[in-house]
Amino acid sequence: MFRSKRKRQTRKDVHVAQLEAIVGPTEILYEREDLLSYDCDGFTVHKAMPKAVVFPKNTEEVAAIVRYCSVHNLPFLARGAGTGLSGGAIPLNGEVIISLGKMRNLLSVDYENRQAVVQPGFVNLKLTNSISNKGYYYAPDPSSQYVCTIGGNVAENAGGAHCLKYGVTTNHILGLEVVLPNGEIIEISEDGIPDSPGYDLMGLLTGSEGTLGIVTKITVRILKNPQGKQTVLAYFDNVEDGSRAVSGIISAGIVPAALEMMDKTAIEGVEAGAYPVGHPDDIEALLLIEVDGIIAGIDEQIDEILTVCKSRNVREVKVAESEEERGKWWANRKTGFGAMGAISPDYLVQDGVIPRSKLPEVLRRIKEISEESGLRIANIFHAGDGNLHPLILFDSRVPGETEKALEAGTACLKACADVGGSITGEHGVGIEKKEEMRFIFTDEELEAQTRIREVFNPDDLLNKGKLFPTPSRCMDVKKVIKDTVAVK
Amino acid sequence: MEIQDMPQTSITASSMLKDDKFGNNGVEMAVPGSEEEIADILHKANENGKKIAIISGGTKRGYGGLKNDYDILLSLAQYKGVVEHTAGDMTVTVRPGTTIKELQDFLREFDQMASIDPAWPEQATIGGVIAANESGPKRMKYGSARDLVIGLRVAYPDGTVIRTGGKVVKNVAGYDMNKLFIGSMGTLGVITEVTMKLRPVPKCESLVKLFVSKEQLEDLKTFVVQIQDSMIEPASLELVNPALSKKLFNRDVYTLLVAFEDVENSVRYQEKWIEDNKLSGMDMDVSSQTEAQAFWNAFSKVSPNSLTDDEVNSTRAVIKIGSKNLDVFEWLAEAETLQTKNMTIKMHGGLGHGITNAICTGNESEVKQAIERIRSRAEDRKGYAIVKHLPYALRHEIDVWGKKPAYFFLFEGIKKKNDPNNTLNHKRFAGGI
Amino acid sequence: MAKSLAAQLKESAPPCADASPSNYLFKDHPDENKWADCVHCGMCLESCPTYLETGKEQHSPRGRVHLIKSVAEGQISVNEHFADPVFQCLDCRACTTACPADVDVGGLIEEARGQVRKAIPLKGWKGAVSGFFLKGLFPHPDRMRTVSGLLKFYQKSGLQSAVRKTGALKIMPSHLADMEAIMPKVKQPVQKKYKDYKFIPAKGNPKARVAMLTGCIMDVMFSDINESTINVLTHNDNDVVLPKNQTCCGALHVHAGDRDMGRKLAKQNIEAFQEEGKVVVNAAGCGCALKEYPELFKDDPEWKAKAEVFSDKVEDISKYLYDTGYEKPKSTVNKKITYHDACHLAHGQGVRHEPRQLLQDIPGVEYTEMANADTCCGSAGIYNITNPDMAGAVLERKMENVPEEVEMISMGNPGCMLQMALGVQKYGRRSEIVHTVQLLDWAYQKDKENIAANQKAITMKG
Repeated sequence: MFRSKRKRQTRKDVHVAQLEAIVGPTEILYEREDLLSYDCDGFTVHKAMPKAVVFPKNTEEVAAIVRYCSVHNLPFLARGAGTGLSGGAIPLNGEVIISLGKMRNLLSVDYENRQAVVQPGFVNLKLTNSISNKGYYYAPDPSSQYVCTIGGNVAENAGGAHCLKYGVTTNHILGLEVVLPNGEIIEISEDGIPDSPGYDLMGLLTGSEGTLGIVTKITVRILKNPQGKQTVLAYFDNVEDGSRAVSGIISAGIVPAALEMMDKTAIEGVEAGAYPVGHPDDIEALLLIEVDGIIAGIDEQIDEILTVCKSRNVREVKVAESEEERGKWWANRKTGFGAMGAISPDYLVQDGVIPRSKLPEVLRRIKEISEESGLRIANIFHAGDGNLHPLILFDSRVPGETEKALEAGTACLKACADVGGSITGEHGVGIEKKEEMRFIFTDEELEAQTRIREVFNPDDLLNKGKLFPTPSRCMDVKKVIKDTVAVK
Repeated sequence: MEIQDMPQTSITASSMLKDDKFGNNGVEMAVPGSEEEIADILHKANENGKKIAIISGGTKRGYGGLKNDYDILLSLAQYKGVVEHTAGDMTVTVRPGTTIKELQDFLREFDQMASIDPAWPEQATIGGVIAANESGPKRMKYGSARDLVIGLRVAYPDGTVIRTGGKVVKNVAGYDMNKLFIGSMGTLGVITEVTMKLRPVPKCESLVKLFVSKEQLEDLKTFVVQIQDSMIEPASLELVNPALSKKLFNRDVYTLLVAFEDVENSVRYQEKWIEDNKLSGMDMDVSSQTEAQAFWNAFSKVSPNSLTDDEVNSTRAVIKIGSKNLDVFEWLAEAETLQTKNMTIKMHGGLGHGITNAICTGNESEVKQAIERIRSRAEDRKGYAIVKHLPYALRHEIDVWGKKPAYFFLFEGIKKKNDPNNTLNHKRFAGGI
Repeated sequence: MAKSLAAQLKESAPPCADASPSNYLFKDHPDENKWADCVHCGMCLESCPTYLETGKEQHSPRGRVHLIKSVAEGQISVNEHFADPVFQCLDCRACTTACPADVDVGGLIEEARGQVRKAIPLKGWKGAVSGFFLKGLFPHPDRMRTVSGLLKFYQKSGLQSAVRKTGALKIMPSHLADMEAIMPKVKQPVQKKYKDYKFIPAKGNPKARVAMLTGCIMDVMFSDINESTINVLTHNDNDVVLPKNQTCCGALHVHAGDRDMGRKLAKQNIEAFQEEGKVVVNAAGCGCALKEYPELFKDDPEWKAKAEVFSDKVEDISKYLYDTGYEKPKSTVNKKITYHDACHLAHGQGVRHEPRQLLQDIPGVEYTEMANADTCCGSAGIYNITNPDMAGAVLERKMENVPEEVEMISMGNPGCMLQMALGVQKYGRRSEIVHTVQLLDWAYQKDKENIAANQKAITMKG
């Protein structure tokens, strides 16, 4: 409908013509200019041109495309909104990109059984918006939820601010329809019925970063809104007290809906950003704690949180007095990454996870890394689930500083791995952290995973070269890691 | 952290060898005390074409399996204890032979719990519960093993030991390999360590029982929809059929078990909500704290297991039915039509998670008939019926796993890649894997 | 072929040819600083009407920025394949609101369009329509007034209904026929009506003097809105000046890539309003364009400085009233009303709350918020003429969000009013389309009538 009548400049090759026959002339891109927009996702360091981009309208078309690619040995991959931060949708091998952007419908909602069925291109936040009038919501809420798709969330096993209490995507997926790399359509846990007999393919597919199959229909769990919520803000004069308060709250038997921490540098950033709260400029750490649930039980938990904070030398602690104040605190926190732009021309964000109790130790190590590299590092921490985002501040115009920042980033991940943590809590491995996989997995452990890939994806045509370090291409991989920059 | 010594369970693996009613027996028995020993046993067996059956607490010998002459019965019952527990991290790492009760008792000292409530906590071990993906009524609030397990150590048949996941609660590095082993019935590897995330022990708990006459079942459904649509947060909404109610409460009615676990004010508020909103004719009874705990303990023993089922005159089968949440009502209604004077069906199902347990007791042919009818109804509804407890002999007549899914070739592929010689629990799992 | 054309141009030593790999061949090319902040995060995607419609990256803000950057990096040339996504953009600026890094996508698009139009001049039907409106008509107030007369004659003569009956309209492209059906009834332009006034005096003691942009289409097709604006301003004690030498704001020219004409018009307006302290605008698109004049002169420091002084004086009517105070009407307007955010008001100028407050201050108004009130209606200047299919699809999406029961849809931009009127007609809805100041004016008029009636009653009693 919107195809303009412009001249073709590329001679359609036979594969493009065949793929066009499957999806129709308006639903395929193959001209260089059109493909250029698909050379990367939210990870912009590495770019590669796809062979073509196709826009199937339904599962059958996806299957036909996949079958065609499989038979003709064409590498292919699936793409949602392209907001991934680790390069999972970058066509490293000149793939045919299967964009699921046209499969963006909410297919059904079953309130009685608390489930909804969506197409993979359906945007995360739209689900909550579509069911909120009945008081329901979809729990996983990654910060890109305004634009990211549920299909992409399944591929990456996306997290969100409320993981601690409500879990991540995998805990909310009840059923999947999948096109396997050979083009076969399978339906796992049809109708969202749990524990379907056999190996848990649904669990394996969720978080497989698009290397095992292409999800074409998803049954998700929906939840009733909590009756009430309340938020506490606490200031500490040292990071140790702040982290002890985190453990204290958890040990007191409270399961907060969110438990966030920022250190001094991070606070400096958010206060210079678009949503300043007026945090004191001489505190070393702040905690933002949210409790939700039955209103009758919230006050008791808030009191306990206040007590814990006071026993950990809190300088000041307060409860939000209005929805407006609560909103202000959260806006300040949620724009934390972007706000770093106000105090540094560039920054690099990492995504490590550590056991909560190792926080003081890891923060000390990060401080050392900062001193060694001569770069400031701000820490924004989902303290509740141990997900640490060190933000390495640098200026790419200063020669050598980008490299230093990258080295510092890798060192931060190593610090997380050394205390028994993980190199990624929510951004995924993709291309970005392939090599760092070795920080936490042995060769045998990596091989155990690639064995699974071989079962689903024996010819390795689907999203090749992602997720696992490639021994033979070690030098290339190193180079990619070195180039890993997120510019402001 | 020091490895905790725990009291041994009274049932030792050796005593099980004498009993063949439930199959899955071995010629020799191995009782390893370390991961290295486990890996070594696997490696040698794999090299020499020996078949291994894995056992731990011994409660699931009636759960699948078409062999009774494995070369080695590998018992993990002695491989137990807490390896690591950091209270502040709310995680615990534990060996597979640890019983659920031992684990919970240990954690209770710290006001923490593993939020899983499978049957027979005194006998069932964490390794078995995870391998069989067992869950209980409170799954509604807390989820199942796949939501709790954050890391495993697993010994593959070739003796390689790998770690899956990790010690952190949020982790997307690589495939979510934990999921591969949960519910895999020991057919891919031997779980040698389990790391779980924990929850605080709720400060207050209570159990609201709603007794509802057979005629009022439709009303109850309306009420359950109302509960689901309200903002109260029950930990369970377990519906019990009259046959089981009779046994538990001596009342020939349907019973809805609504658990609340939260701070006290919240629990009281929710109890009152039920009181205020229940429909007329529904009889309500509240048990708090210890009473509630005692009830759930008794409830965990309503299904027979292979250690307790010594019935000689009749056949007993336990069927796990998977359905949509509210279809549990249909299943309980169905049970009424399936029961005969020679065969009773005690049934309970979770309205918040869609898993129903049917305990059939009676004459063999009628039990078999019931299984077949339940299975065909379940498959019509796109669900399934797994017979998770059935005598060995009958398992040769009835495929306890039901029909193979269209994607069975993936199961076969996974098995072949990980256990090419069929060394582990051969023929124990779906489709004869 | 477009590509070889670009290559030829490059060879024939274009104005800014240098060693850089850039394939932008002309001056005033897209500004590197504008895209440097884009980290390709994608937060803009769902705000973009053309992305929602096509699902294709090159029709998204981040895709367009990526393409614009790619030309500068020498990866692609300015050709038809580049022009297509750049011109499919509605210029609605919703992406600017969505962007966490404040990337000025709208500015980049306009600069890119300038490059495209120079490299590939418009031909054919689109060129003719565009040329007729943009070059031949809008910049010439006298010609506009003639058209106004013709339109009036056309409407009054009964020819309009005759044409509609005979179906002669069917010979026009269908979307032009759609447009014709919703043409507003034309009154006398205010520039003509107040031709002999130095200024239109405030009702009471003047508290301020404001100049008003009367606009090109606005004063011809929507002169009643200009009338209402004057009424509302004078009612609230403002003297209103209508500078004679003012001209079309140039927004449509800049949107279409004709930045030279844009600059010419800008200069004329800057001079026309030089003596004035405040410039009030009742068309969001024009207001936004005036505020962005400095952007047009980024290579001309002298005019840039003048443009900056000028743009600081520009204010939307709703914001001006809200900031300087206005009398709350006493008479009731008993209507169910919703509000549509004109893109260039909400995204372009950040004015969202003020018009809503104006509406809700009118007694009797039953206000309903429209879902996605700030998504584009598809009007976008003359976009609905040049890209009718996309405009229609965007409109359909918009109309789905208009609450069933509303009697009036209020907004602050004439282009939106035409497009939304088209929507109401096309989808068989009954809502009337009004400008926010019209409603306020009506309420004031009612106040006046009531006072008159009361006085009459008092006089009669006396």
